[in-house]
Amino acid sequence: MAKRSETSSKDAFAKLEGLGKGMISEIDGGETPKFSCSLRSKGNVFYDESVGYIRLGDKVEERKFVNVGQARKFMQTVAIANKCKKFLSEGAHTSIRGLFYQLKFSLGEDLDEELFSEQSESNPLIEDLEVALELKREDLNLNTDRKGVVAGPLVLKDKFGGDETEIDCTKQGRSGWMIPSDVDNGMDFVDVDADYVLVVEKDAMWQRLNEDKFWRKENCVLITPKGQASRGCRRLIKRLANKKLPIYVFTDCDAWGWYIYWAIKTGSMNLAYLANDIATPEARFIGVTMQDIKDYDFLGQLTIRAKDVDIKRAEEMLSYEWISRHKEWVNELKTVLTTKKKIEQDALQGPRLSFVGEYLREKISKKKFLP
Amino acid sequence: MPTSTDKIFSEFKEHSVAEFFKKNKQMLGFSGKTRSLTTIVHEYVTNSLDACEEAGILAQITVKIEEVDKEKYRVTTEDNGPGIPKKHIGKALGQMLAGTKFHRYMQQRGQQGIGASGCTMYAQITTGKPVKATSFYDKKMISCEVAVDLKTNSAILTNVVEQDTDGSKSGLVVEGEFADVKYDKSSFGVFEYMKRTAMANPHAQFTLIEPTGESVTFPRTVAEIPKKAHSVLPHPLGISTNDLLDLAHRDTDSTKISVFLQNKFSRISAARVKELRDALPAVDFEKAPKDITWSDAEALVKAFTSVKWIAPETDSVIPIGKEQIEKSLQSILAPQFLSVTERPVKIYKGGVPFAVEVAIAYGGHAGRQLADKFTSDVMRFANRVPLLFDNSGCAISEAVKEVDWKRYNIKNFDEEPITLFINLASVYVPYTSAGKQAISSEEDVFAEIKYAVMEAARDLQRYLSGITRDRDKKERRKAVLRYVGQLSKDVVELAGSGKSADVEKKLMNLIETKYSTQIEEDESEIDAPKENGNGKEEDEGEE
Repeated sequence: MAKRSETSSKDAFAKLEGLGKGMISEIDGGETPKFSCSLRSKGNVFYDESVGYIRLGDKVEERKFVNVGQARKFMQTVAIANKCKKFLSEGAHTSIRGLFYQLKFSLGEDLDEELFSEQSESNPLIEDLEVALELKREDLNLNTDRKGVVAGPLVLKDKFGGDETEIDCTKQGRSGWMIPSDVDNGMDFVDVDADYVLVVEKDAMWQRLNEDKFWRKENCVLITPKGQASRGCRRLIKRLANKKLPIYVFTDCDAWGWYIYWAIKTGSMNLAYLANDIATPEARFIGVTMQDIKDYDFLGQLTIRAKDVDIKRAEEMLSYEWISRHKEWVNELKTVLTTKKKIEQDALQGPRLSFVGEYLREKISKKKFLP
Repeated sequence: MPTSTDKIFSEFKEHSVAEFFKKNKQMLGFSGKTRSLTTIVHEYVTNSLDACEEAGILAQITVKIEEVDKEKYRVTTEDNGPGIPKKHIGKALGQMLAGTKFHRYMQQRGQQGIGASGCTMYAQITTGKPVKATSFYDKKMISCEVAVDLKTNSAILTNVVEQDTDGSKSGLVVEGEFADVKYDKSSFGVFEYMKRTAMANPHAQFTLIEPTGESVTFPRTVAEIPKKAHSVLPHPLGISTNDLLDLAHRDTDSTKISVFLQNKFSRISAARVKELRDALPAVDFEKAPKDITWSDAEALVKAFTSVKWIAPETDSVIPIGKEQIEKSLQSILAPQFLSVTERPVKIYKGGVPFAVEVAIAYGGHAGRQLADKFTSDVMRFANRVPLLFDNSGCAISEAVKEVDWKRYNIKNFDEEPITLFINLASVYVPYTSAGKQAISSEEDVFAEIKYAVMEAARDLQRYLSGITRDRDKKERRKAVLRYVGQLSKDVVELAGSGKSADVEKKLMNLIETKYSTQIEEDESEIDAPKENGNGKEEDEGEE
């Protein structure tokens, strides 16, 4: 797969136009216009041990217009491409829902049909374009909702809406800096002077650590994805990892939380086509682990019953080869299945509010991580 | 199979058959209001058709139904047949079992001869009125009223008027009033009966004048009178004990059973009689046929099955004919597609010849249309007579049901615009009951019907798959063409070069070329990524 992390909107513009020009020459040559893109179906998704993440295989599919099964989708894809080209030339962004509404119109009076009638039609075609052009949707000025917050010794330059702003993540007070959907285009790292990156699952835990100025004491970048990490959040973590910063992830002690870690580390099947940009195989897991229950006596009192979804997710995770190859994780997951217990990261505040910090410091200094 | 009616009538002959009928009219088709009216029309129409055929006249039959009162109708049937001489009018219309047909062994429509007299009786029972008959026969016009004397089973003629005519007109008009009957357009009604009768008798023209005054004519499509059926002697295989008994009792010419067997059966020679004698030492072959007992007959019928016989003659079976059916169905149903099978005569029970004719019609007026839905129509016939009742117990319906229609690309046979026309022609139709509305499931008959239907279904399948291919291609072309406009606009804008009118034209050419050639490329749907058990990522930017 081509490396595509440093695409600028100029590249995206050229790629879109190139796609169009290719089609025109095909039509001139008496051929059906077409484009090819990697297959995103399950059969073409696999864990690549050599790179340490889940990515697409080599299966490529050709999309043609003169083909009954594909004609409508082909036309729709080109319409999306054309619309995105407009966004780029106007320097304006929108959401994928906004794009959908821009393209929801009738194909003509005599045709009882809309270009798009459901957003569920346009979403997969956006992914097709991303894959075909080797771009991210953010490169096409398509934003997703912001999710995730950061604080710590990180300074960025944000060129947006004609302005240029410097963002110092040490000066974001109690709320932190909200991670945007696009952390590449018009977004430069000015200074990253941290020893490591700490990703904590829950916003409440992040606020606790922020109030303690944990990031200042430890000289780390403190991030919360607020649950499952968004594309922008994962991309930021990846960019920080590219700066050689160790990435430590801290979640609840349950399959649900652990899977947040794995999605950050190896990427996911749904987003396999973006893995090179958003998977961070270097990430390590701090906790909370089942082993912690033995190591910290008080935690034994603070377990709660695992829910059915936790059990189900644990079973699924055991079936993923990239997880089950680590015996530490097999032990953890099997413990969940046998004890049917879980611990929330909040439980570490049991003895005293600042205990979380002590726990993290101990784990990091003793390098007590799970792979 | 002998009909139980035959038996009953033979037992009741000495008493009053008419009295018996009165008590058992439902057995003969006079049950249910709609059905009774259909039966009445059937009896008259059948008589007319038979009379015309025997006289070598191309039949023209008009049936008029008028509503006299609630559930009371006047039925007038007029034909262009030879008419009836005065001395036979009473027998024909006022005496049960007086017809000439009853004791003959040949293919014919009605077999009982109770028909028209039965109607007269029904009129008497329900309205108290006799029927009126006008016969144009041999330069004479005779009109009279006919009633049945219920005690003596003889006709009573009143108001007889006789006139000389110039002989240019012949035929019979019968008019009767019947109550406890109903005219409706259901599949059991007179309209359907007339339509189907017309389908199976393309050499005749039928006109129906409905109670509303509307008149429907099913024109003649074949100007050829069907070949006359000839009497044949029964084959020993396929005779029942009861029939044998009957034949023997009626035989006054033969002096002994051994002679009776050789005279009244086909394929029984002196050598075969000897074989039978050896096999049945307990039966006295020397006694008179009238003295034969039930157990003698039973033993004989059983012994017949162990003797090797020459197969029966098959020329007694007279099908309607492939060309004839094609013409009549074309005229009445005007289908998009029609196929008629032509199959050889087969034998059932080892001794009874029969032939099955199947026509399958698709589209046009085939099938029944209910609102915007179609249902298929299975039309059953025995010797050209439509069987409207007792559908469920009939071998024809059962055989059609047993066909695996999906094999012929007919997904839901019940909901297609299909008419299946199935005629069973035989000297001896194996009816299930005296009502003669259903055919019993004789193994050979059932199998032959099924094979014939399958043959017709194959033809339809070939036709339909041709249509599907053509329509598919057209629809594919259309499905792609509709997106050309939008795509041309977007491609040109995206490329930042070219003219959308040009691109549009070129794309259209491309599509026309592709969908007019015989070669089809793969037309696979895009293989969209499916569910992959990764539930935690639903919120990855789908807002």
